[in-house]
Amino acid sequence: MQMSVSPAKLRDGIGAPKEVPPTVLEKIQSFADERRSFWIVVSLTLLFASWEMAGRIPISFAFPTFLETLSAFGEMVADGSMHKAYLITLQPLVMGVLVSALVGIGLGVAMGLSDKAEWLLAPVFIVLQAAPMAALVPLVTFVYGIGLTAKTLAVIMLALPVIVLNSYKAVRHVNPSLVDMCRSFQGSRVQQIFKIIIPDASPVLFAGLRLGIAAGFIGVMLAELLITPTGIGDLITYHRSVANYAHMYAAVASIIAVSTLTLAGLQYVETHLLRPEKRRK
Amino acid sequence: MNILARKIRASASAVAICFAVAVSGQAWADPMRVAFGDIATVESLHLLAAFERAREKGVDVQVTFLKSEDIAAQAVVSGQADIGVGAPYALLQKVKAPIRIFMQLSKLQFYPVVNTEFYKNWKDLDGQEIAVHSRGSGTEAIMQLMAEKNGISYSSISYVPGAEVRTGALLQGNVKATIVDSSGKRVLEDKAPGKFAFLPMGDVSATDEALFANTDYLSANAKDVEILVEAILTTWREVAADPKSVTALKEKYKLLPDATPEMVADIEPYFAESAPNMPLNGGGGAAAKDDLEFYTVSGALEGDAKDLKVEDFWDLSALNNVLSRIGTK
Repeated sequence: MQMSVSPAKLRDGIGAPKEVPPTVLEKIQSFADERRSFWIVVSLTLLFASWEMAGRIPISFAFPTFLETLSAFGEMVADGSMHKAYLITLQPLVMGVLVSALVGIGLGVAMGLSDKAEWLLAPVFIVLQAAPMAALVPLVTFVYGIGLTAKTLAVIMLALPVIVLNSYKAVRHVNPSLVDMCRSFQGSRVQQIFKIIIPDASPVLFAGLRLGIAAGFIGVMLAELLITPTGIGDLITYHRSVANYAHMYAAVASIIAVSTLTLAGLQYVETHLLRPEKRRK
Repeated sequence: MNILARKIRASASAVAICFAVAVSGQAWADPMRVAFGDIATVESLHLLAAFERAREKGVDVQVTFLKSEDIAAQAVVSGQADIGVGAPYALLQKVKAPIRIFMQLSKLQFYPVVNTEFYKNWKDLDGQEIAVHSRGSGTEAIMQLMAEKNGISYSSISYVPGAEVRTGALLQGNVKATIVDSSGKRVLEDKAPGKFAFLPMGDVSATDEALFANTDYLSANAKDVEILVEAILTTWREVAADPKSVTALKEKYKLLPDATPEMVADIEPYFAESAPNMPLNGGGGAAAKDDLEFYTVSGALEGDAKDLKVEDFWDLSALNNVLSRIGTK
């Protein structure tokens, strides 16, 4: 015999309370379900609290607490040194990332579409991606000196291979039945590329772009720490040399935050403007 | 059963070994771990020779060469090295680590230099661009101090790390006024005699390199530290009396075996030039006071030089003991 009792009936049964007020845990649960940012806030709070604790123990004489770092950050924003540093750091970063994105997606798509381009270029970029770039950055100075060119080149060296290889893989892994469909509808090669291949490859293209920008941040920091200290690299080096560790950590943390926000921003643009179907319901 | 017994035996012996290692670390003399914030060049030959001499007297000196002075200082703060080489005044003031300097090794030896096509003296540099090593460095402090003394101000200061890089930039004409070290000075005098003028400095005296250590280490290993201090002072006095003796020391202790002929050729001129400026009494209180003044100007130290106390930065006991034994010069 099948016993099926609806939950509503059980609740209305004798002895059961009519309206159970939600417990605190349930309230938090429903709040967390409604707002995704809840978990981000919790995770950051945990991170900063453990940072504060580690700074207070202290795990090292040279390790500042979170609050000290925060106030050092405020101080550097107030006296304008942070803005100035970012103006300098962003120049090679933006130029390098733009060049890498344009050239990288172009080359990657070309490699995906043409076997000749693949044979010619793929090995170069596979080697470049595997190479430990931190060891190669100082070599750039031998050819290009210590100016903006050398720093932009360092960004490109890190960002370009990632973007190229991801774009190439993206095009190679386009769904073949979509391409077949295009052909059976008598689509031209140009239509095939722009209406089928690139739209279908775009998720991986964007993933490559995000990885490339992250690599670009690594590149610009390597350049500013290994070539000549400018911008954020100068803030880090200078405050380390005069033992202002809170300021040094603030500069490091700020570049991490800027990098994270940039990537999150790119993802937002991607999901909201370019590919609305990917948006989480 | 057998397996269990074996496991217990293995763990017991592991514990015993760990315990023995830990205890031996406490009981017997540890090696003296020295963190050097630079690669070894001919300019540190006399120090390397002094380490060898301390080793002969039974102090197991182990030198590690690190990338920069900051890292050497961090190694001492974190206890991974016992003695560091450098002048970590900012660290001593801002990080409440129990670190003290216990002897001076060398004084800053830099030469402000200008291209005579453009400038002749300090006054000409008013409103002009100069190049120094890095922000907050000794070279910047010297240039600022001299600007103050001459009543001028620079339009901008660019940072070009490495005296040899600045020397090259001067020769190429990319930089018109900068500050170089003694080997840079020799290169300039060699390659373009008369083209560059070295500007007078007056008496700027500050520590370039000093030895520093944790106070606990200094009190627990007073004897070893004194042997090291004595070895350094006697070597320094020898070299100051006869700069050529460094070559003999290099041969005797087989120091820097990979040195190229050019580097070897540089030994005697370098020491001949630096000998008069070598601190033969390990600096001490007087040097400390000069440093506090200098590094306050440079920005490494905060506050007024008069309010800073020597004992917050220096531990003079080992140096004074050795000096009372071997006398001052």
